[in-house]
Amino acid sequence: MDLFANWLAAPVVVPLLFAATSLLVATRVNLRQIRVQRTLALIASVLNLGVALLLLRTTAIEGQRIVLYAGAWQAPFGITMVADALSAIMLTLTALLMLAIVVYAMGTLDQREGMNFYPLLLFLLMGVNGAFLAGDLFNLYVFFEVLLMSSFVLLSLGGRPNQVNGGLRYVVLNLIASTVFLTTAGVMYGTLGTLNLAHLAERMALAPESLRIVLAGMLLIAYGSKAGLFPLFFWLPASYHTPHPAVTAIFGGLLTKVGIYALFRIYPLLFPELLATWQPFILLIAGLTMLTGVFGAMAVRTIRRVLSFHVISQVGYMVMGLGLAASGNELALGFGMAAGIFYIVHHMIVKTALLMAGGAAELTMGTGQLEPGHLGGLAKRWPWLAVIFFVAAFSLAGIPPSSGFVSKLGLLQAALDAGQWPIAAVSLLVSLLTLMSMVRLWQRGFAGPLEATRVPQRSPHRWLTLAPITMLVLLSLGIGIFSAPVFGWARVAAEQVLDRDGYIQAVAPTDVIAPVGTEH
Amino acid sequence: MPELYLVLIDRILTPVLLMLAVIFLLAGHNAPGGGFIAGLVVATAFLMQIMARGDGFVRRLIGPYLQPLMGAGLLIAVLSALVGIGNYALFFEGVWWKLSLGDFVLELGTPTLFDIGVFLVVSAFVTSYLLELSRPAKEGGRK
Repeated sequence: MDLFANWLAAPVVVPLLFAATSLLVATRVNLRQIRVQRTLALIASVLNLGVALLLLRTTAIEGQRIVLYAGAWQAPFGITMVADALSAIMLTLTALLMLAIVVYAMGTLDQREGMNFYPLLLFLLMGVNGAFLAGDLFNLYVFFEVLLMSSFVLLSLGGRPNQVNGGLRYVVLNLIASTVFLTTAGVMYGTLGTLNLAHLAERMALAPESLRIVLAGMLLIAYGSKAGLFPLFFWLPASYHTPHPAVTAIFGGLLTKVGIYALFRIYPLLFPELLATWQPFILLIAGLTMLTGVFGAMAVRTIRRVLSFHVISQVGYMVMGLGLAASGNELALGFGMAAGIFYIVHHMIVKTALLMAGGAAELTMGTGQLEPGHLGGLAKRWPWLAVIFFVAAFSLAGIPPSSGFVSKLGLLQAALDAGQWPIAAVSLLVSLLTLMSMVRLWQRGFAGPLEATRVPQRSPHRWLTLAPITMLVLLSLGIGIFSAPVFGWARVAAEQVLDRDGYIQAVAPTDVIAPVGTEH
Repeated sequence: MPELYLVLIDRILTPVLLMLAVIFLLAGHNAPGGGFIAGLVVATAFLMQIMARGDGFVRRLIGPYLQPLMGAGLLIAVLSALVGIGNYALFFEGVWWKLSLGDFVLELGTPTLFDIGVFLVVSAFVTSYLLELSRPAKEGGRK
């Protein structure tokens, strides 16, 4: 029995332990309690990053899968946690973003907003990490709910009417998606008699085609809604611009990507044949998501709304990777999926950096309106922020040498190899429109004369705000310039995700109840 | 002079519920029961107190401790799962200690510890929820 597998519990246990300790020490609102909570969150995110890097080394570099049978109950009877390269890449990115956001929050949150922000952030981290490690559908659902509940409270933390309004829309629309997810899980258990993913993969092959199509369609609705796919993205622009900028930044970087992760995990594992037969359909959804997102971004007029719509448009690119997964080129199996995973890496880093920079601009100028007389001329007041925002915006649009260029190139190559001209054309068009939208943001927000009419009483701490954004932007440039190792990890991840037999063998579900490792 | 049924609730039902909660807490795992149900029963006992003596009394009694209790419960639950790792076994694997007291062998295990953690979280959470529910009704009544 391999005790190394115990490390898989750490990404869930570490945030939970530190969040519980934060609750334990916080009996009343005062500055000292918030400092304690802040320190605990900082320690937790550093530890979490360490564990994630350890798992990344074992899975993405050494090419292993790690399986933890909680309580030594053999799959499918107990709770199984599985980490492969895709999980580890997502865990590492999440850990990086968490660390960045904790530092950013130290620079931007005021005292009243700070209370309970950090424990909630840790509960969110626990939910996201757990979803990336879940080895069965029910635990995936449970961790989705953990992150939904903590994100709902984070959204409405300020208690302002528009925050409660946005939070309610967010929670209602997401609960509908959760209901669809839970119903699907129920149907699966009723028809196939199991919820363990490896066990399901074994039995799904024996299921009638009609059942497979119904289940795949329902899961596409559930995860597509969480991921913000066309036409199920309404909750995202309704809620992302209302909370504190630190909350928007972590949501834009993390939440939709959990839905994308679930699609990347479930579809190749349970419905491999549908990836090929539904390819036109998936690519259609991808193209429409890209287009609606970028058109939405051109129509709205505050900095964070523009960036929120770009989240939707970018999710389309990831789904494009999934759609191309079944038709890799001759060089490598699943090149399209690897390109999609690389796109997730690029997007999570750059999007969070952009939302943090946009939020900092909003906090400094006291408004997020992209109209003359509101935001504008920030380059004069805070030149460094303007420079960083500029680099991040061009990375999002896909200008070399940023990570955006490499990731879009990979997807384009996969699309052309597969002969999918329409989606390649759409992705190029959307890149161009994204560039236009970013130029508009720059002109309205940063260039020109200083136009602020009202200056907030308390502006963010400059270096604590700027340091995490700079770190993420440099990381994006680094990935763009030295893309080979990261793309190699994405290739390993794609191969592992598409290798169903390997996954089933690693988890090894049995039909006989017997605890593992009875020899000790 | 309080009404008779309030006296009954206060003097008789509350201790009965609390004893029932202890039985439920310890009966778990091999029989129906466990930390979750015991936590709900304790919260019901506090609900009886809210009805009999008012929410202000219960709030003064335990109000400030509810959030730390939730934290402590979570900590106990997670630590009980970690004991398995400390014992060179898998995460969440049960570890049992046998204490022999004469003829009687007391078995103490991490599953019970986990249940105590769950019990603390559930009882504290549901009680704070009930206290919050009783607040607006009262303020609305005063107006």
